[in-house]
Amino acid sequence: MSSKTANPVMHSAAWRISLWATLAFAIGTMIAFAMLHRFVANDIQRRSDAWLSGEVEVLGDVAARTPKDRLYGRVVGEVAELASKEVPNKLRSDGDANDSVFFLQVGDDGALKLWVGAGDGTPNLAAIRESKVIPDVPYDLRVKGFKKPFRVVSLRIEDGSHIYLGLSERDEMRVLKSLRVRLLSLWALIVLFGFAIVFYATRRMLGYVREITEAASRIGQSDLSTRVPTNKRNDEIGHLALTLNRMLDRIESSVHQLHTITDSLAHDLRSPLTAIRGKLEIALSSDVKVEQSEPIGSAIDELDRLTEFLNSSLDVAEAKADALKLSRTEVDLDHLVRSMIDLYEPCMSDKGLRVQMHSAGSLTVLADAALLHRVIANLLDNELKHLPASCNVWINLGTSGNTATLTVEDDGPGFAPEIVSHMFEQRVKGIDSKGHGLGLAFVEAVVRAHGGSVTGSNRPGGGAQLSIHWPREQPKKVVTPHSFALVNR
Amino acid sequence: MTYHHSMRLLLVEDELEIQGFLKQSLSDAGYKVDSARDGKTALQFAAGKRYDVLVVDLGLPDQDGIDLILQLRRSGVSSPVLILSARRSVDDRVKGLEQGGDDYLTKPFALAELLARLRNLLRRNLAASEDATRLRVLDLELDFIKRRASRAGEVLNLSPQEFVLLEYLCRHAGRVVTRSMLLSEVWGTRIQPDTNVVDVHIYRLRGKVDTEGREPLIKTLRGIGYVLKDG
Repeated sequence: MSSKTANPVMHSAAWRISLWATLAFAIGTMIAFAMLHRFVANDIQRRSDAWLSGEVEVLGDVAARTPKDRLYGRVVGEVAELASKEVPNKLRSDGDANDSVFFLQVGDDGALKLWVGAGDGTPNLAAIRESKVIPDVPYDLRVKGFKKPFRVVSLRIEDGSHIYLGLSERDEMRVLKSLRVRLLSLWALIVLFGFAIVFYATRRMLGYVREITEAASRIGQSDLSTRVPTNKRNDEIGHLALTLNRMLDRIESSVHQLHTITDSLAHDLRSPLTAIRGKLEIALSSDVKVEQSEPIGSAIDELDRLTEFLNSSLDVAEAKADALKLSRTEVDLDHLVRSMIDLYEPCMSDKGLRVQMHSAGSLTVLADAALLHRVIANLLDNELKHLPASCNVWINLGTSGNTATLTVEDDGPGFAPEIVSHMFEQRVKGIDSKGHGLGLAFVEAVVRAHGGSVTGSNRPGGGAQLSIHWPREQPKKVVTPHSFALVNR
Repeated sequence: MTYHHSMRLLLVEDELEIQGFLKQSLSDAGYKVDSARDGKTALQFAAGKRYDVLVVDLGLPDQDGIDLILQLRRSGVSSPVLILSARRSVDDRVKGLEQGGDDYLTKPFALAELLARLRNLLRRNLAASEDATRLRVLDLELDFIKRRASRAGEVLNLSPQEFVLLEYLCRHAGRVVTRSMLLSEVWGTRIQPDTNVVDVHIYRLRGKVDTEGREPLIKTLRGIGYVLKDG
């Protein structure tokens, strides 16, 4: 069975556990049944032997007492015939012919004196002569012409002759065979039934584990406020669910705490910033001389930069802690990148930079539109700030499988060697960089929060290369249409 | 700005520093401003007078700004509300909008933007453009059907984007527009670029509109934004 068509059930842990459990169970029951079989076989043998010993004694007695006249053969023959009718485990299958018991009397001279049984007794006599006879102890005897061996007991009577009583083991074997068949079918049934029960039980158990896993992975992706399902039972799986939920409680409270800290930090910084900015603006709009307005204007610019830095820092901190709140909508990356290039192009061409974009057309991803705008703006800001005049910037947008890839390349000086390995960390920037070292950290944090990845390197031919890989899930249903509307207001 | 003389505005802001300069600049802009420091006072003001527009800060000492707006709405106040927020997460903004606030601004903000948004809420700025297919500011004329602009009868060679930019400046002629206003209205994005991308667009536009020998119309206000002269 190829892995592709194989039933997923056969790859489940429940299936493997059931197989192993059933194997152990099957071996155990098989051993138990074998011992039972042995016990029954011994018991049957013991009974046959007891019967044989008893009968041969009776027959010996009869043979010894009956006068050796013409009637001797008939009397002893009748008694032997009668005895054969009381054979234990007898199955009357093959008509009246008595082939299960024989009686044989051999004289001193070794000649056949009396024969009761199927055939003329010659092969039996031959077989007896060939075998070593232990008197009074039953032994097995194979006779030519009979498929099954006989159990034979011999007795020496007073006149020096030997009598032999033989009992075919055919009936005994038949009983044992039918016992074996029954035991085997019972075994198969028990094993199958056992497998079904074990499989059902483990599947049920592991079903809870699977539910917990699924719920946990859903929680990991999006909502920290939900919990994994707990069953009422106080078993290991119940404990697992409870432990996971307790852990989630702790994570949620830490994230909540982070939100509270960042929110209050933002609030505490924003209020004075607002007041300062407002007062500066009022000072600027009242009639001040040009030489005074210049420093006030640049102070306001600095305040705005500080605000932007505050926002980015908090965003990066939250994104690194996986606590960034995303309101995902369908966003056309192609359209977004083009409109951002429209915005940046004049500034770039003023600096002598050429921008070229290659794209296969509309490319929809599920993302937080406002954050995505800032990601693209950060990338373009980055190029603007770090490239010397008359460089080229190539922007490529494409898909491979379920990934949208945006690549920004240039033929500038590239990343400084000391930052290549850790360019996405906060505050990491090249020596000559004028930025605050948050741009790429922000880009990476936002992309990662969306489940994507960013790679940066220096191109072999010189220049920097940044690639953003964005996952393209099948759009389910859009969560909040409001946030996008806000951006476009 | 005489048309504001009858506009009543209720300012609900607990930080006295902010309340002070807001009150001053709003009064300068022609609004009659009442200010409250908490929700309770705000409700008392709103019960006594009718306000044309409200400016509400979300972080009030006695209650959440959104609860206050809900309470005001329930008590029959239907005037537009401009929410000021020091929180930065989008959820709060959306929540604010869903619950009856009409617009929001994140602190810190530019006064020019506050005034522009108030005008927007009061639908004052749209008066000239409601049904117009043409717009005139001094000797500058915009034709919205042909998407063409001309100055003193001479057609200006503008790109579609420059036309939209000039249109926005003309619609707000005589008033300050900030960079973030331009970014959100003309480019549909709420980013704050590290670089002077917006300025370059304005310089280019200015190069086409304010050619040599003509009176410059587009003025830069350092630290604030731009203004298109209207007289």
